[in-house]
Amino acid sequence: MRETVSRDRKLVARADRVALAPYTVWAVLFILVPLVFVAYYAFTDNNFQFTLEHVKRFFTATSTVIGSDGSAQEVRTYLLIFWRSLKLAVISTVICLAFGYPIAYIMARAAPRVQRTFMTIIMIPMWMNFLIRTYAWMTILQDKGIFNNFLTAIHLPTVHIIGTEAAVVIGMVYDYFPYMILPLYSILAKLDPKLLEAARDLGCSGWGVLKRVVWPLSLPGVISGITMVLIPSISTFYISQKLGDGKFFLIGDAIEGQYVANNLHFAAAIAFVLMIVLLLCMGIMRKLAGRRVEGGL
Amino acid sequence: MRPIAKVYTALIFLFLFAPIAILLVFSFNSGNSLSVFSGFSLHWYKELLNDTNTLGALKNTLILALSASILSTVLGTAAAVGINKLRSRSMRAAMNTVTNIPMVNPDIITGISLMLLFVFAGRLMGLGTSLNFWTMLIAHITFCLPYVILQVLPKLRQMDQSLPEAAMDLGCTPMRAFLKVELPEIMPGVLTGLIMAFTLSLDDFVISYFTAGNGFETLPIRIYSMTKKTVTPKMYALATLIFFAILALLLINNLMDEETAQERKLEKARRKKERKPLSPRAKRTLAGSVLGAAAVLALVVSFAGRAQELELNIYNWGEYISDGSEGSLDTIKEFETWYEAEYGQKIRVNYSTYASNEDMYAKLKSGSVSYDLVIPSDYMIARLAAEDMLLPLDFDNIPNYKYIDEKFRGLYYDPDDTYSVPYTYGVVGIIYNANQVDEEDAGDWDLLWNPKYAGRILQFNNSRDAFGTAMYKLDIDVNTDDKGQWDRALEELRNQRPLVKAYVMDEIYNALESGEADIGAYYAGDYFTMVDAQADTVDLQFYYPPATNYFFDSMCIPSCAQHKELAEIFINYMLSEEPAIANAEYIWYACPNSLVYESEDYIDEMGEEAMEILYPPMDDFKERYNAYAYQNLSNDILDYMNELWESLKIN
Repeated sequence: MRETVSRDRKLVARADRVALAPYTVWAVLFILVPLVFVAYYAFTDNNFQFTLEHVKRFFTATSTVIGSDGSAQEVRTYLLIFWRSLKLAVISTVICLAFGYPIAYIMARAAPRVQRTFMTIIMIPMWMNFLIRTYAWMTILQDKGIFNNFLTAIHLPTVHIIGTEAAVVIGMVYDYFPYMILPLYSILAKLDPKLLEAARDLGCSGWGVLKRVVWPLSLPGVISGITMVLIPSISTFYISQKLGDGKFFLIGDAIEGQYVANNLHFAAAIAFVLMIVLLLCMGIMRKLAGRRVEGGL
Repeated sequence: MRPIAKVYTALIFLFLFAPIAILLVFSFNSGNSLSVFSGFSLHWYKELLNDTNTLGALKNTLILALSASILSTVLGTAAAVGINKLRSRSMRAAMNTVTNIPMVNPDIITGISLMLLFVFAGRLMGLGTSLNFWTMLIAHITFCLPYVILQVLPKLRQMDQSLPEAAMDLGCTPMRAFLKVELPEIMPGVLTGLIMAFTLSLDDFVISYFTAGNGFETLPIRIYSMTKKTVTPKMYALATLIFFAILALLLINNLMDEETAQERKLEKARRKKERKPLSPRAKRTLAGSVLGAAAVLALVVSFAGRAQELELNIYNWGEYISDGSEGSLDTIKEFETWYEAEYGQKIRVNYSTYASNEDMYAKLKSGSVSYDLVIPSDYMIARLAAEDMLLPLDFDNIPNYKYIDEKFRGLYYDPDDTYSVPYTYGVVGIIYNANQVDEEDAGDWDLLWNPKYAGRILQFNNSRDAFGTAMYKLDIDVNTDDKGQWDRALEELRNQRPLVKAYVMDEIYNALESGEADIGAYYAGDYFTMVDAQADTVDLQFYYPPATNYFFDSMCIPSCAQHKELAEIFINYMLSEEPAIANAEYIWYACPNSLVYESEDYIDEMGEEAMEILYPPMDDFKERYNAYAYQNLSNDILDYMNELWESLKIN
C-alpha cells in the first residue's frame, strides 16, 4: 500500500513537472532573454560600452518648473514624472476596485445565465478598438462635448473635464475596469454560499459577513485585479495624450519620447528602473496579502 | 437582485456603454468628423465594405487573436497547475515574479525587446527577414500568458487540494484526475483567462507593431497609423458592425444554452447508468475545440505559406495612398492589374503602414524586415542616407521622373538626387476660427502667443514641431546646434504654455472642427479636411506665417529591399498620370509632379482656393525650403531638445 502511494506521488510530481516544463522554456526564451536585452541597453551607451550614465540620469536629472506664482523651482525630472504616473495609476486602481467589487459581487450572486450575460456585457466594450474608444471619450468629455451639452440641456452649469486629471483617470478606469472585475468575479463566484450562511447563523451581520468572510477570501482576486489595473495604467501614454490635452507627461510618454529621439538606451534605462520598482511593489503586496490570507484562513 | 443593486448595475453599464453609443451614432455621420454630426448617412458603411485593406486587417486580427488566446490559455493553464504544485516557496515566488514581468514592462519595451530578440535569433539562423506572422504570434502569447496564469492560479488555490489526490487514490491517472476533477473546478478561471487573452490580443497595437513582419497588418496597427491623417467615422462603422456581430452571437448562444441545459440533464441521468470515462458530451466539446483550433491553425498556415507569386513590400504612412474609398482609384489593385497586363506575371503588393518616421526608422534599423519601398520625410531620408540605409535609384527604370520639376530636385536631403523621388510636399500654416479671432490679429506666429486668446490655442504635441513654431517666431535657424538658441525657444514655449488649451497631433481636427479651440498650426492640405467637417458655428480660415516649416515625403528604396527593380517600376507607376492625380486628390497635400499640378481636371477638382493655398506661388521655393525645412539633428542636439521638451511638459 505504502509503495503504491509513493509511486503515485512520484507520478504526480512528474506530471506537474511536465505541465510546467513548456511554460518554463517559454518564460526563459521570451520573457527573461528579452529582459536581458533591456538590461543590456540600459547599461550601455550608443557604442555598447558599459555605463551607469542612463540609470544615474533617471535619478539625478533636474529641470526647472515654474509655479503658478511665477517662482522657479528645481525638481528631479524623472522622479517627478514617475511620482505623477504612480499617483494617477493608484487613483484609477482604487476607483476600479471600489466600483468593481460591488459589481463583481452582484454578478457572482446572480443566476448562472445572468452571470454569463453580465460577463459578456462587461467585455463587449473591450472588443471595440482601444484607440477608437478613447476618441469616443474625447467627444463625450470635450468642453462642447456630449456630457456638457447634456448638462446645459438640464440647466446645469458646464464642467471643464478634458485636459484635467479627472479626464485621464476616467480614461484609465474605463479601459482597465474589466481587468479588475473579472478576477474579482471569478473568485467571488467560487465562494461557498454555505460559508456565508454559516457566518450569518453564527450571528454575523450582513456587513460583518462581507468584512470578515467575503473580503478576506477574495483577497487573491483583489491582488490580481490591482496588478492588472495598476501596471498598465502606470505606463500608458495614449490615454494621457488624448484625454489629458497633451498636458500630462507620464512615464510612458517619457519612454516613448526617448525612443522617438533615437535614444533607445535611455528609454531602456527608464523601463528597467520602472520594472524593478513595480516588481518590488508587487512582491511586497503579495507578501502582505499572503500573510493576511493565510491568517484569515 | 435588490433595487439598489439594479440601479448600481445600470449606472455601471451606462458608463461602459456611453462611448459605444457615441461610436454608433457617429458611424452614421454624413461628414468626416468624429465630433460634429452633420447628418444621417450610410456612407461610411458603404466605404467600409469596399475597403479591402481594412477588412483584410480585420481578418488578420481575428486569426491572430484566436490562435494567440487558445494557445496561451492551454500553455498558461498547464503552467498554473505546475506553479501551484511547486513545493519550494522560493521557486514559486520566482515563477510568480517571472510571470509578472510582461505585465510590468511597458508595451513599448516588451515590443522592442522582443523585436531585438527575434532579430538576434534570425541572424543566428541566417535569415534575412526574421519578423513574420509567427513572431507576432509568439509575442502575443507571451503577453497574454500572465493574464491567463493570474486567472487560473487563484482558482487552483481556492480548490480543495485533496480533490485530485483523492481522485488518484481512487485510481485516476494524473491526467485524468486533472481533466475530470481539477479542470471543471478551475474552468471559470480558465474561461476568463481565455476571454482576457483574446481581448488583449485583439486590442494590442504597440507590441504587434514592433513584432509584425512584412504585409501582416492588424486592425489596431492600421488604426494607429491613421493618426497622421486622423481617424474617420469609417472605423466607427467597423466598430458598430463588430458590436452587432457579437450581439448576434450572444443571442444565438443564449438560445443554444436552453437546449444544452436540457441535454445536460438527460446526460446526467444517462451517465449515472453507464459510467463512461468521458461522457459523449464532453468528448464532443473536446473534439469541437480541437477541431476549432486545428481549423484556425490551418488557416494560419495557409496564410503564412503562400509566397509563390512576385511580391512587393511597401511601407507607407497611414492613409497616404488613394485606396479606392469615395470612388477613388485603388492604386495598389490597379498596379497589380497593370503589372500583370504589362509584364505577364502576377504580382502581389504587401502594403503596411506606420505612424511616424521614427517608428519606420526603428523597424528598418532592426534589420528584421525587408521592405522594398518606404516614403519617409526629408530629414529622415537624410538620416537614412547618412547611415547607408538607402539604395541609389536606377533612374533608367523611372523615366517618369522627368515630370518632377527642377525646383523640386537637388534639395538638401538628397543634393545629388540619388536616393529619392518626391511624393508629396507641404507647408505648415495657421488655422483659426474667424468667428472668434479678429482678422487683424492674424498674419504671423504671434497669434499663437496672443494672450487675448488664452485657452483657445493649440500647440503641437511633438518636440520638433513645437520648438519649430517658437524658432520661426524668434527668427532662429530651426537646425541650429547652438544650445543657447534652443534655450531661447524653450523660454518662448514656456511663456506660451499658460495660453495653450492643448498640445495636439491629430486631435487638432476634432478640436478645431467642433470649436473646442480656435487657433492652431497644421499642414495646409489638412485645413480643407477640417473645413469640410466644421460645425455651423465655426468658420475656419488659413494663412501662412512669413517663416514656416516646409516638408517633403519622398519615395526611397531601403537597403534591405529584395525587389529593387520592382520597386522602381512601382515608383515610375506612381508618377504616371492617373495614379499621381488620384493620390494628390486623396491626400490633399501638394504634389511635385507636373502631370498633376498642371492638369485641368485636377485643378477643377481641387477648386481655386485649394490650389492657391496648396501651391503658393514661390519663385524662391528651393531657397526657402532649404532654409526652413527640418534637417537631421545630431544626437546630441536631439537629446538636448528632448530634455528641454520634457522640462516644458512637466510644468
